[in-house]
Amino acid sequence: MAALKEEEVLSLAEFAAKSALKKGADEAEAFAYEGLTTTVAIERGQIAKSSRIVDRGLGIRTIVNKAVGFSYTNILTDKAAIEKTVSKAVKSARASKPDKDWQGLPSKKPFPEVKGGFDKAICELSPDDLVKAASVMLEACEKTDKRVFPIEGGVGASYLSRAVVNSNGVAGFDHGTIIECSLATVAQESGEVTPVCFEFNAERLYKIDPEWVGVEAAKQAASALKAKRVETKPTKVVLAHFALQQLLYYTLMEAIKADCVQRNQSALQGKVGEKVASEIVTIHDDGLMNEGLRTWKFDGEGVPQQKTVIIEKGTLRGFIYDSYTAKKEGKESTGNAFRAGYLSTPRIEATNLRFAPGKKTPEELVGEIDEGLLVYSVQGAHSSNPASGEFSVVATPAWKIKNGKIAHAVKGAMLAGNIFEALKNVSALANNERKIGQLVAPWIVVENVKVIGK
Amino acid sequence: MRDVLSRVLEEAVQKFGAEYAEARAQNISKTMLTVKEKRVEAAREGIENGVALRVLVSGAWGFASVGSFEAEMLRDAISQACKMAKAASEKLKNPIKIVRGKAIEDRVTVKPKKNPSEVPIEDKVKTMLEIAKTVLKFDGRVKSCTVDYLDLVGTSLFLNSEGTYIEQDKLYVWSRVLATARENDIYTFSREEVGSTAGYEIFDVETPLKVGEMVAKRAVNQLKAKTPKGGTFPAVLGPNVVGVFVHEAFGHLAEADLTLSGSVLMDKLGEKVASDVVTIYDDGTIEGAFGSYKYDDEGIPAQKTLLVKDGVVVGLMHNRETAYKFNVQPTGNARAEDFRVEPIIRMRNTFMAPGDYTFEELAEDIKFGYYFKSFRGGQANLDGTFQVGIQEGYEIVKGEVGEPVRNASISGNTLETLHKVDAVGKDFELWPGRCGKGQTAFVCDGGPHVRVWEVLVGGGA
Repeated sequence: MAALKEEEVLSLAEFAAKSALKKGADEAEAFAYEGLTTTVAIERGQIAKSSRIVDRGLGIRTIVNKAVGFSYTNILTDKAAIEKTVSKAVKSARASKPDKDWQGLPSKKPFPEVKGGFDKAICELSPDDLVKAASVMLEACEKTDKRVFPIEGGVGASYLSRAVVNSNGVAGFDHGTIIECSLATVAQESGEVTPVCFEFNAERLYKIDPEWVGVEAAKQAASALKAKRVETKPTKVVLAHFALQQLLYYTLMEAIKADCVQRNQSALQGKVGEKVASEIVTIHDDGLMNEGLRTWKFDGEGVPQQKTVIIEKGTLRGFIYDSYTAKKEGKESTGNAFRAGYLSTPRIEATNLRFAPGKKTPEELVGEIDEGLLVYSVQGAHSSNPASGEFSVVATPAWKIKNGKIAHAVKGAMLAGNIFEALKNVSALANNERKIGQLVAPWIVVENVKVIGK
Repeated sequence: MRDVLSRVLEEAVQKFGAEYAEARAQNISKTMLTVKEKRVEAAREGIENGVALRVLVSGAWGFASVGSFEAEMLRDAISQACKMAKAASEKLKNPIKIVRGKAIEDRVTVKPKKNPSEVPIEDKVKTMLEIAKTVLKFDGRVKSCTVDYLDLVGTSLFLNSEGTYIEQDKLYVWSRVLATARENDIYTFSREEVGSTAGYEIFDVETPLKVGEMVAKRAVNQLKAKTPKGGTFPAVLGPNVVGVFVHEAFGHLAEADLTLSGSVLMDKLGEKVASDVVTIYDDGTIEGAFGSYKYDDEGIPAQKTLLVKDGVVVGLMHNRETAYKFNVQPTGNARAEDFRVEPIIRMRNTFMAPGDYTFEELAEDIKFGYYFKSFRGGQANLDGTFQVGIQEGYEIVKGEVGEPVRNASISGNTLETLHKVDAVGKDFELWPGRCGKGQTAFVCDGGPHVRVWEVLVGGGA
């Protein structure tokens, strides 16, 4: 099924926004979304299914007397259906309560140029091409180690487009592509099963390496065998990409949202200008990053995306805003209004949260540690206390580091602490920056993490 | 609609040689609200119409989803699905086979006392604001409150190439209340959910006052809580924690797709994996419960599935594909979140069956340990490593419940821990929740209070 054209999408959105004003809205905004995704899935050691998903729709936000209403539909072919949706949006605004802090939808601003967000080659991939990539990954995994079983994974290619039109003259269209391949594995040997190991590539341009993913997913699982318990004591911990992403997602990434700060839910409230992390920690939210997974010209309400400094050499510099929270403080939005497709109103989310890398290779980083833990992934990060930043998780898979070398895999080790304390205890950074969801970061070393082993 | 879909399925079989084909058409309306403190962020209403088509061709699955009921779009989609399956089958080692069923024809209706689609949105706004108000006025130290509300009402049609035609009403009402409290540098967090498939009348039982006070009280009590000691201790787990343990730590391992992927249960069928006092069910038939339904998304009737009987694994949760592999009947656990995704094996209402201890009897022999009453998140791994975060916990000192502890979590190996359950209470509670496995499913989990003679407790900071 062919993608909708820019003119088509913009004209649908304009029609919806105008129709809302006619129906009595003071302000209106339409967000159109289209996602075309083809995937090939691996299940229990073989390629066994493939799917094609077409999802498109329109979300309409209306404001009546400072009360906000919203409605969406996935029927775009029929103007009557769109008008009905618009009426619902107006009706829900009327049913809602006025918000005294509402100061209007964003106004028009020039959109920046972004690079590396769209690749025609991805749109042209056939299911057969994806099957080929998946089987390269699978075979690479199987060849690497016989004890490893690829449990699930696959290759997926998506085309995404988004358009925002509002009654203040904002009108924008942007489109992009994403391709990913991933493989989850376990290794089994003499009755022992490893935890699930995982490797992936996700890119905006067609430059994934399925063979590398297959090999790494296999190596990771094989090296997770023969796991032993460790002692309970404060330990130097290397947080690899996934572990860092999981721990930050439910804590720091919440605490920097202006909404959480304004509502007294952030442990970073009132700390701008203060030291909140070690000297070597610098973090930006970079909505314009080249080939960033969350790079777009504009955010979910048509505000240009930008690069925003969050922590500079350990000092907190600021937070991320949407238009509503920015206006409340008399500031400008940082372009962080996120939309989960057409189904919801915007909410604040980081774009590409970029943790500046260091200079050491990961091998050098580990080589300097006499005794410590290398943690690839953690279990239970979502049970962290988002308000305080406290976490209590299981490290799986993880490895013991002894005299600068990986000594053995570790089982059942819990890590407990507070993410904001941990940020202050970051003592080294590797140079292996990588994109995982919203995070772009290297491996980091954190001193004195409470490890509960037996 | 029935005719269009039947013809599309016929085409899959006759033109593309599908061994099996199914169509799921969904016509759903949702209402959603978010209240932050006294502010209604946005009242939201939406329509999601679409069709999911799934085919088995040459031993591989093909799937297509479209947000349309138009005949031409559907014909295009079925041909896509068949081609996708064909492409996927190229590298197949073991062709997929499924358990075939008899043709079923049924119409399932819901009869809510209060149909959410007939409750004015103003009333829903009022109820959610009331919850938020209760939370905020409970204590000055409560700093924020977020209330989310969702209702989903509609119909789902299911047809397959075996001649089954099921028309099933869908109704879900859900709400989640989050609160934070703060005193000096201490931040606490509390969460509760309400969920039902019966109707909006759930708020007559789970009233704004009841839910609001429960959430607020916990956030405030946690302010004076201390950090738990890290290490191994005896513990009494409340029904809410037993539920998440049974769901996360055990249940996922017993989802047959994950069992086949190498979960620790794979070579344990028919074996003892828990102490004698442990019996576990996954039940899709409890009336009004958040995880109940009549037919799953492969057209199989839901049922009460016995997973563990007196400590022995006697069953797994199956779809048509895994049931074929194990040479058993499907258990009605195939669920799809919506028309955009394919059905996968999911839990329904998962619980541990009650025993005969009172709470006092469970606690009395514990010199020092913990009472973990309510959870905040949990997760398990195929190797049986589990973690359950605790949002409400207390010390047990000399058999008595003592001071509260904050941000604890428990961890260990599921099967080792199930062997350490030495006493099961006679009470019983079911708690609604949402489970993520790539897709979201509405579920319940629960059980009685139980005692575990040893579990690893992760301390706070």
